[in-house]
Amino acid sequence: MTMEAKTHSIDISALQRQNQSLRLEDETIALTVRDLELFYGDKRALHGVSMDIPKNRVTAFIGPSGCGKSTLLRCFNRMNDLVDSCRIKGNMSLYGENIYERGIDVADLRRRVGMVFQKPNPFPKSIYENVAYGLRIQGINKKRVIDETVEWALKSAALWDEVKDRLHESALGMSGGQQQRLVIARTIAVKPEVLLLDEPASALDPISTLKIEELINELKKDFTIVIVTHNMQQAARVSDYTAFMYMGDLIEFGVTDRLFTNPEKKQTEDYITGRYG
Amino acid sequence: MNISAKEWFKSGSPWVWMNAAAVAICIIMVVGLLGLIAVRGLSHFWPAGIVQGSYTIDAQSKTVVGEIVETNEVLTKQLLEAGIKLTTDDEFSTRHLLKVGNRDIYGSDFTWALEAFFTEQTYPEMLFTAERREWGNLYGYLRSLKQDGTEIARFDGYEKSSDYIALWSELNERLERVLQIHDDILEIEKHEIGAINYELERLRLKERGLQLDNVTDSAPFEAINQQRKVLDLAYEDLQQRLIDLYTQINRDSLTAEVAGGQVVEVQLAKIVRIFRPNDMHMGQKMIHYAAKLWEFVSDDPREANTEGGIFPAIFGTVMMVLLMSLLVTPFGVIAAVYLREYAKQGFVTRLIRIAVNNLAGVPSIVYGVFGLGFFVYFLGGNIDDLFFAAAKPAPTFGTPGLMWASLTLALLTVPVVIVATEEGLSRIPRALREGSLALGATKFETLMKVVLPMASPAMMTGVILAIARAAGEVAPLMLVGVVKLAPSLPLDGNYPFIHLDQKFMHLGFHIYDVGFQSPNVEAARPLVYATALLLVLVIALLNMSAIAIRNHLREKYKALEM
Repeated sequence: MTMEAKTHSIDISALQRQNQSLRLEDETIALTVRDLELFYGDKRALHGVSMDIPKNRVTAFIGPSGCGKSTLLRCFNRMNDLVDSCRIKGNMSLYGENIYERGIDVADLRRRVGMVFQKPNPFPKSIYENVAYGLRIQGINKKRVIDETVEWALKSAALWDEVKDRLHESALGMSGGQQQRLVIARTIAVKPEVLLLDEPASALDPISTLKIEELINELKKDFTIVIVTHNMQQAARVSDYTAFMYMGDLIEFGVTDRLFTNPEKKQTEDYITGRYG
Repeated sequence: MNISAKEWFKSGSPWVWMNAAAVAICIIMVVGLLGLIAVRGLSHFWPAGIVQGSYTIDAQSKTVVGEIVETNEVLTKQLLEAGIKLTTDDEFSTRHLLKVGNRDIYGSDFTWALEAFFTEQTYPEMLFTAERREWGNLYGYLRSLKQDGTEIARFDGYEKSSDYIALWSELNERLERVLQIHDDILEIEKHEIGAINYELERLRLKERGLQLDNVTDSAPFEAINQQRKVLDLAYEDLQQRLIDLYTQINRDSLTAEVAGGQVVEVQLAKIVRIFRPNDMHMGQKMIHYAAKLWEFVSDDPREANTEGGIFPAIFGTVMMVLLMSLLVTPFGVIAAVYLREYAKQGFVTRLIRIAVNNLAGVPSIVYGVFGLGFFVYFLGGNIDDLFFAAAKPAPTFGTPGLMWASLTLALLTVPVVIVATEEGLSRIPRALREGSLALGATKFETLMKVVLPMASPAMMTGVILAIARAAGEVAPLMLVGVVKLAPSLPLDGNYPFIHLDQKFMHLGFHIYDVGFQSPNVEAARPLVYATALLLVLVIALLNMSAIAIRNHLREKYKALEM
């Protein structure tokens, strides 16, 4: 993976993707899901989902509330393990490696599959220490390495210019949008392969949202991104592929433009035209 | 404007008034309590005037000299029934409690005097008070100074004159010298000889240890004997110096005429301070007061704790509370972390929580009994068998002491810390834990780096509550380590500096001891108040430091609004 710092500017035209020529068959597949079923106690939340998530693309999960899109997302880095009553059937793999295999290092999996949550959740530490957190966890203690990585991550998250003079101030003094970009910086600082975004902009104002969307567009060059959103415009703007889920089923999965302009399933059409959901 | 009662009730004003009244009552009670003990306790140190008068009862007259420490009104009828022939028509008669001192002469330092019989009250300027190391205060007129038994100066009048002032200054100078020598003696006896004794005891234990191990080689015994010889020499040297100092300190004495005309001779070595309260102006009294207060908080007690200071008790209290906090915090926090973070939540954890909460309600004396039975006899006894066999049959840890007292109180307060920490842990937002886990941290790393630091203010809350409870506890301490008078502080210059096996003094127990176990109740009573005030202050100070730490932590880990 080659990654270089990019200067940030808001450019709406950058959000208009040229993905007419995308074909799933041509993509390298990062994550594979096969017949995934998930239970909370006796309740079945996912009913046999199968899909392939392509590398270095943005894949969006859309669907009404409670359809299981966040649940599915949290399966990719085994966040659902934290829920006592949660059980999983089926298969899920990252580059052919079974995520749910016995004996797998879950902490390492989570480092490889980073996650950003709905609400910004910076640690009550300085901006610098927030970004350095993951590195320190990995046992990296060389100040030079940490300094460089922090700068790179903040630049990649388009935050460097805003915070470079107050790196050692508390992260809690930042605005919501800044905090969310800080969390993204913190996540990419450990150089994950996949970035999971769980409604990353739902708690933010329109300008911050725009910044995050543009950031996603930049980041997909280096990362495979999976984003959950209930904002269909956002999905249409930022994603290359879209999966529509309904009541724990994957209804339709395909190239975003095709799914929005020419949905194959009636349920998908109803949802994107606003007939329910 | 006319507002109906119903509307007035609906407006909420009566509710507000009721709340305000409840708060006001609380404040009045607290202020009143503190005010009472402060006034009673602090006034004790003020140099009260010495009254002299003629006390006539049953046609017998005698001169009485003393400080009025208390005045109250009694029913005249009651006095008449007691056989006292009063001629007054008043319903009440005034009587004073006089501190007449001179316990060695009169047998008791306090006497009640009815105002009606107490005539010709004057405050002679020449009356002086001598605070003594034994037998309490001496009140009287200075008559002469003696050096090696020979009189060197004398004064016989009762009025202020330059001769008297000269005698008084001479006495003050000589007393200064005696006090200096006294300090030197104390330094030698307490520290230097104390250190030698400590070393000798260690040598003895080492030798005994070698004997118990059946060491046949004579070299180590020889080395011990060598060291002992060195110490013995040092000891003899100190002993010689002590003898010299004792001869010096006993050189001077004074004679004084006490009420009734008797002349007594007092060694200056027995005197702590002398002053003439009737001849002091405000400034002098204030200096005297400050000196007495300072003595109270910084000196060792004298005369079965009824005189002098209570420094060892303050020191013991603070030391025990700090030690208790050091023990209880890790213990409680670890238990809480397991209960909240690792244990599977269910019937068993619920049962444990109920048990922990109930532990907080067990009477503290029960903990004392447990501490004595388990810590002192069982643990301490076994520690002695294993590590201090050389000292047996004298127990080292198998007897009440600082460590066991702290441990017992730690046990007593651990539920508070567990509950507070659990509360704190449960309030850490789930999002933060997930954020840390999502970065590849293990559960343990998340706990150490995010959760525990953020829960630290809650832990401090637990510690604050623990301190508040432990510092005021007396009952269990009486069983596991507190004594009326400890010969030395648990922290000193002798290796290993902190002596966890030592018994110690405690303010709470001191109050009980001085107030209820004292042979001289009247003299001790003001000290009960003063000590109580000090205990409150010490607890407040300990709590305030803990609160300051907590606020600092809170500021640092300000919880997120999520």
